[in-house]
Amino acid sequence: MHISPGFLSPAVWTATAAVSGAALAASLAAAGRRLDERRVVLMGVMGAFVFAAQMVNFPVPLVPGTSGHLGGGFLLGVLLGAPPAVVVMTSILLVQAMVFQDGGIEALGANVLTMGLIPALVGGAVRRLWRRRAGRLADAATFIGGLAAVLLGATVVIVLLWLSAALPGSVSLWQAVGVMDFVHLLIGAVEGAASVAVVRFVLKARPEAVFEGVGGRMEASSA
Amino acid sequence: MTKANRNTLLVGLAAALLVGGVVSYFASAQPDGLEKTQADLGADAPRHGGVEAPPVAFHEYRLKGLGEGFWANAAAGAAGSLLVLAILLGVGRLLRRRGAEPASPEPPDAG
Repeated sequence: MHISPGFLSPAVWTATAAVSGAALAASLAAAGRRLDERRVVLMGVMGAFVFAAQMVNFPVPLVPGTSGHLGGGFLLGVLLGAPPAVVVMTSILLVQAMVFQDGGIEALGANVLTMGLIPALVGGAVRRLWRRRAGRLADAATFIGGLAAVLLGATVVIVLLWLSAALPGSVSLWQAVGVMDFVHLLIGAVEGAASVAVVRFVLKARPEAVFEGVGGRMEASSA
Repeated sequence: MTKANRNTLLVGLAAALLVGGVVSYFASAQPDGLEKTQADLGADAPRHGGVEAPPVAFHEYRLKGLGEGFWANAAAGAAGSLLVLAILLGVGRLLRRRGAEPASPEPPDAG
């Protein structure tokens, strides 16, 4: 879902870079406040893993000739909280743009917005549920959250292209959103299902790595 | 680094290298959801000036000089994962040093 070079107008890429830059600054400040070695290591390996997972394009069911890949921003939001997830996704998108020509450099802010900030915030909201109680409700919220995060991001991509006059005049915004969201409904379902599987696995394998310790403190500080 | 953290690092990195270096070789090469949407809408030509990074070492997800094969892809997966890991460990170290409050490695109320 990376926006390639030359599709965003200067006004749009400047505005999205400003939004993402501010979000990154706030996330660095928030994440840095309770950073121990364990969380730094988790951020690092999860970043490496999400980068790798993004390389695995799978055929989109029901839409021949199309592939999709996991975004991972939502999953990171659930496992780490929104601020660290924004930091991790920004690092991934930066490497993809600078080293692998995946996404325009001028579009980096927009790509951080749609694949970093938006899914990280949705993931952070679902994380609160897991904290309270693991179970079917948290499972369902994770699947729906993963799907919603992808659809929200996809919709914002189309709005940005529309604002950039990068869609043909004959196509309405709603038509374009419809085409984009249909494909991403299916990609999002995969993202949601994969997120449920990974969160469950982590809870079974090493719950203390992700959900304990920080938990009590965060709730205390937000009260 | 504590033993538990070193284990997390090694296991996580191994998983990343396996997925990015090996599994990704079998990935679909079809256009992604956005590219397909843009093509279907007839909106796949850039209309503004854009900036693409020069392909210095990698051409998309292939190490230059190794063609299109397995190893070119494996090198991209490994290099990208390690680069992301290095950036995040570096950022983490900087943040921890800056926010160095009275350092308590374990949260006092854990467990």
